[in-house]
Amino acid sequence: MKTLIIGEIINNNLSSGTLEILGKAKSLDLDVQVVTVGSDENPSIGVDLCKQTYLKRQNNSLNLSKAATKISEIIKNEEINLILGSSTYMCRDLISFLSVDLNSSPVSNVIDFDVSSGNVSTVNSINGGESLYKTKINSDQALLLIRPKAFDPVEVNFNDDFETIDLDGSDLEVFDIFIEEKSGPQLEDSKVVISAGRGMVDKENLELIETLASKLNAAIGGTRAIVDAGWMPYSQQVGQTGKTVKPDVYIACGISGATQHQVGMKDSKFVIAINKDEEAPIFQLADLGIVGDTLSVIPKLNDNI
Amino acid sequence: MKIAVCAKQIPDPANEVTYSNGTIERPEEQVLDDTDRYGIEVALQLKEKFDAEVTIISMGPSGTQKGLQQALQMGADKAVFVDDESLEGANSLMTANVLSELAKSLSADIVIFGTESTDGYSGTVPQQVSRYLDLECISYVKAVEINDNVTLTRQTVEGSEKLNMPEKCVISVTAGGVEPRYPNFKDIMAAKSKPIEQVSISDLTINTTQNLEFIDIETVENSKSGEKITDEGEAYQEIVNKLKELKVI
Ligand SMILES: Cc1cc2nc3c(=O)[nH]c(=O)nc-3n(C[C@H](O)[C@H](O)[C@H](O)COP(=O)(O)OP(=O)(O)OC[C@H]3O[C@@H](n4cnc5c(N)ncnc54)[C@H](O)[C@@H]3O)c2cc1C
Repeated sequence: MKTLIIGEIINNNLSSGTLEILGKAKSLDLDVQVVTVGSDENPSIGVDLCKQTYLKRQNNSLNLSKAATKISEIIKNEEINLILGSSTYMCRDLISFLSVDLNSSPVSNVIDFDVSSGNVSTVNSINGGESLYKTKINSDQALLLIRPKAFDPVEVNFNDDFETIDLDGSDLEVFDIFIEEKSGPQLEDSKVVISAGRGMVDKENLELIETLASKLNAAIGGTRAIVDAGWMPYSQQVGQTGKTVKPDVYIACGISGATQHQVGMKDSKFVIAINKDEEAPIFQLADLGIVGDTLSVIPKLNDNI
Repeated sequence: MKIAVCAKQIPDPANEVTYSNGTIERPEEQVLDDTDRYGIEVALQLKEKFDAEVTIISMGPSGTQKGLQQALQMGADKAVFVDDESLEGANSLMTANVLSELAKSLSADIVIFGTESTDGYSGTVPQQVSRYLDLECISYVKAVEINDNVTLTRQTVEGSEKLNMPEKCVISVTAGGVEPRYPNFKDIMAAKSKPIEQVSISDLTINTTQNLEFIDIETVENSKSGEKITDEGEAYQEIVNKLKELKVI
């Protein structure tokens, strides 16, 4: 099946989400090409596995709708039937725009899909990951938004061999572009993740988490409750509307374990939970559960590591 | 300025979600999706500054209309909704098709959404509506500054960026972006006399189809049978031991 993956750039290469989708597409033997949308000057995003096209947008205007129009054109010209993108801000916008152009409703939160005798079927996670929903797509074009970490990334060698198409800007000027400083281990690729919830009681107590994280070389995450409360930037939110992590060890500190949080961390290999409520749902996911006060357990951990 | 804000009525999130034939079962009494409160709040702040008219637009089984009432209690002026059997289990595109037709019928300049509904969370409807209306979509707005012009801060993968709100556009507001107001007794009483109008689907141009066929739902067994230890002062040692065993330290 002719397939188009909407690629994204992180650190001058394709994002891990893009490589995961490419890995899956290759395993299904799909006739695949990547169209990457970004604003980097000289990214190294050519891949030895398939054709790559770079739609270069200007970062000083909001012109994703123009990028979508260009992708629609490619889809029509090249008779593409399957369009795949990661569930990121940019791809959510692009796939939504494309769905209107192609008059085909997309499937969101896809965690698996298959193609057989010309039909695309999907499995997507609903209800905060409590259930799996299976769908068959009956339109000529199928559009899927895929959750990060659903598939193993493909190994690629990046090169500079790709076509670049410059997109026009739009009238909507963008200013004060702020790039969050990323220091220390990153959530997506850290072997240890420590997440904090409202059970850390006060923003100041996050220092305890920071100390532990530096001792374990861990990335720090949080629940939506504390992100909403302004304790942590949104980029550190783990869960349905935040990041999906899959570390070797996940330490949940004062987190109740709402399904919307679970969906972002339940595939972690080993889960340690500290919560004073022994009935907290997080314990259902924990390999090691400590029923206790975060403010008493974590300082002792810090003193003994 | 005419503002349309989307408000979805959803089953009370305190109760377990149940499905029938792949579609969420909806009781007679549904509540306003909290996610939409953020969008409504932005609309009301715009109204206070620019003397706008704020209309709630909604699609789905209307039932007791409690969720619509809750939206009006916050301060919206009126509500219009579409409730039609043919829309049961409507996919995101069909939903966007209906909502964009409602926005058009109101000649809305600004159409505001939450980023995704709590029950369906496909997270695509605001962008789809913008495409139907041929307007720019300013998605994932996490801060709003209202002066003589309106500055919106968008969340991006790397951080954030700002834009001035154009005269016509679609906006989606992230949870936590603004602080939704609580209605007081007077607001609650006032809402009772605000108009709620049902629009017939036959008055709208709908050209989407149900391209997604439901096959099956499966419940995921999440629970692990891990160790659970009650801390009596020494439980940290268990964690230290485990981290050693896992070679983290
Ligand atoms: C559409 C939608 C999307 C969402 N997306 C996300 C998402 O992406 N990520 C996310 O995390 N949430 C998300 N949520 C929110 C989610 O439902 C929960 O509200 C949130 O995860 C709860 O955060 P929490 O565990 O920090 O807080 P709470 O649920 O308040 O839990 C705090 C826990 O701390 C414990 N505790 C309190 N004090 C102590 C102490 N001193 N020592 C030890 N334990 C203590 C309590 O027993 C409790 O279990 C979403 C919700 C919706 C509706």
